[in-house]
Amino acid sequence: MTGKDKWAIGLGKAVSKFSTLFGLGAGATWPGEVALSLNSDIFSSFAKQFKFGIILVAGTNGKTTTALMLKTILHYEEFKVVYNGSGANLLNGLVSSCISASDSRGQLTADWGVFEVDENSLPLILRYVTPKIIVFMNLFRDQLDRYGEVDVIAQKWSKAVDSLNSETILVMNADDPLIAYLGKKSPAKVVYFGLTDDAPQDTTMEHATDSIFCLNCGSRLIYDHYYFSHLGDWHCATCGEKRPECTKTPFESPLPGLYNKYNTMAAALTSIQLGIHSSHIKHALEGFAPAFGRQETFTVNGKKIKILLSKNPTGFNASLRTVLDMKPRAILFALNDRIPDGRDVSWIWDVDFETIPDDIPVIVTGDRTYDMALRMQYTKTHQDVGALIAEPNYRRALKTALRKLKSGETLVILPTYSAMLDYRKIISGRKIL
Amino acid sequence: MKYELTIAWLYPDLMSTYGDRGNVIVLEKRCMWRGIRTTIIPISLETSIRKLSSCDIIFMGGAQDRQQKLAGEDFIGNKGPVIKTMVERGIPALFVCAAYQFTGQYYRPYEGEDIPGASIFDLVTVHPGDQAKRLIGNVTAQIINLPGCEGTTIVGFENHGGRTRLGPKTKPLTRVVRGFGNNGEDGYEGAVYKHAVGSYFHGPLLPKNPVIADWLLTKALEIKFGKSDMFGTLPEVYESKARNVVMKKK
Repeated sequence: MTGKDKWAIGLGKAVSKFSTLFGLGAGATWPGEVALSLNSDIFSSFAKQFKFGIILVAGTNGKTTTALMLKTILHYEEFKVVYNGSGANLLNGLVSSCISASDSRGQLTADWGVFEVDENSLPLILRYVTPKIIVFMNLFRDQLDRYGEVDVIAQKWSKAVDSLNSETILVMNADDPLIAYLGKKSPAKVVYFGLTDDAPQDTTMEHATDSIFCLNCGSRLIYDHYYFSHLGDWHCATCGEKRPECTKTPFESPLPGLYNKYNTMAAALTSIQLGIHSSHIKHALEGFAPAFGRQETFTVNGKKIKILLSKNPTGFNASLRTVLDMKPRAILFALNDRIPDGRDVSWIWDVDFETIPDDIPVIVTGDRTYDMALRMQYTKTHQDVGALIAEPNYRRALKTALRKLKSGETLVILPTYSAMLDYRKIISGRKIL
Repeated sequence: MKYELTIAWLYPDLMSTYGDRGNVIVLEKRCMWRGIRTTIIPISLETSIRKLSSCDIIFMGGAQDRQQKLAGEDFIGNKGPVIKTMVERGIPALFVCAAYQFTGQYYRPYEGEDIPGASIFDLVTVHPGDQAKRLIGNVTAQIINLPGCEGTTIVGFENHGGRTRLGPKTKPLTRVVRGFGNNGEDGYEGAVYKHAVGSYFHGPLLPKNPVIADWLLTKALEIKFGKSDMFGTLPEVYESKARNVVMKKK
């Protein structure tokens, strides 16, 4: 560690203290930002200090939960882990979590770094570190105004992955044709996870699919099974491309929902690569508690509130399906259009809200309350809006929703990112952790 | 008499990236709410031209580059000429985003050769280079060329790199009040030719702007049945509030 590193870390720590002291609430990114402005290479200095290495988790959906599962399993093995649990997943967020975990001399004494990384930031982060493992979850359409198209991200990832060598293991989702294609081309060691035939399947493909044409030859892919969006057991009848062979990971998912099965498989397969015994993985997962806003449950006056972050069509469809299985007494949708949500809310038309039965009361709120209300109105066979309630004020919307419940019943909130943070604050008094 | 309309939805599996489905849902439901039956015909690469030409109204949306290329080859060589004839016959059509660019004379990328379009509208699109700013954001505009709807304010979200300019045979749909529009310079957005409408307002253009949906549907009924008096008015419930939120956005 150089003097310059120490300076950068020291200043980052000061910023962190200052930010906490004055309740600025930017502790997850600001210290890293300041340290990076002094030394853009600071993350490589940190990276060298991890005893065993760094694991990165990338993908549109499931990063936070998968990274937390990994952390849980590594903790079970009594490893010391640095982890960006606040969801700050740009380079400045990763650096901030290292700064806060380091001692007064800027030294880390951790075994592993487990970081979820933003789709766009992955190539940049790979310039500073050679991770032990990179987990690739999936690629779906998400905030097109900010991230650009799915294919553009796939191209960036492809370039980044091509520059890796056999020091890195890639843990990849075989059911996503875009991800599998990255794996097939990569010089790194690749292991695949994927669902088996006995997983619950969709009979018709949902509307929000992004990658159902062969990456190799452009023909329409054939799915023997498909699970959700463009994830499934696929092959190309024209050129013979097909889903790669998967390593079996027979672990129960600690959370409901098909998407959590993927998260569990990803975390388990990664742990297996590290040599962790399967009985330990199993026990560790049994003690898993969900990440903030991801199926988190709160109790208010004997009534239950479940929050499921729903920020893009695929995630939303997956959440909706899980929610309807829970038989909730009421559903509250909170749609915002701030920077972390994406300014364009067009994507709500790609979500299959038509699946919500008429007898479940629906309340809509957020910056774009009326866009959401309009979307709900167009799920109906008559123009009559029925029991739909549109209430832009968060607190009033929540009160109205809770009034629909008897003690012991459940209200489910499906918010976009910033609305999730706001509702956590209203319900628990804290935005993140 | 039972009235029924057939809606052609072009390339739903390739050109439906930004909530484009919203437009089809709106066309369908606004008929259903008035007791008019609809059938949606998905038209993709494999669909026959015969199926396409029997439709009463056409919609085509936006796409990502890779999918756009696949659809583009089929559109220019196969479906495009059929649609051009249909539009000439007065069949109403809505082309949004990438589809809007496809319907011009050509698209000039910043590298490589011009990509010919279907020449349904008299317009050309030029991409000014990868250093040029993409035109992204909420837009407010006022209809100037849709008979009976002039003066109505519509809102949308645009996200395009290409700059489109209209020739003399095609009229702009709106005058931009706030936002960029066709090219960010001449103050116009969209295009109208006969009963075909093109626009950069991507994805769900129709939900917040039902006036355009009803105009297209009225024209479809008039062409098919010679009248549209079975098409009553529907009240606005959330539309104007949703538009107001967009108009006040920074």
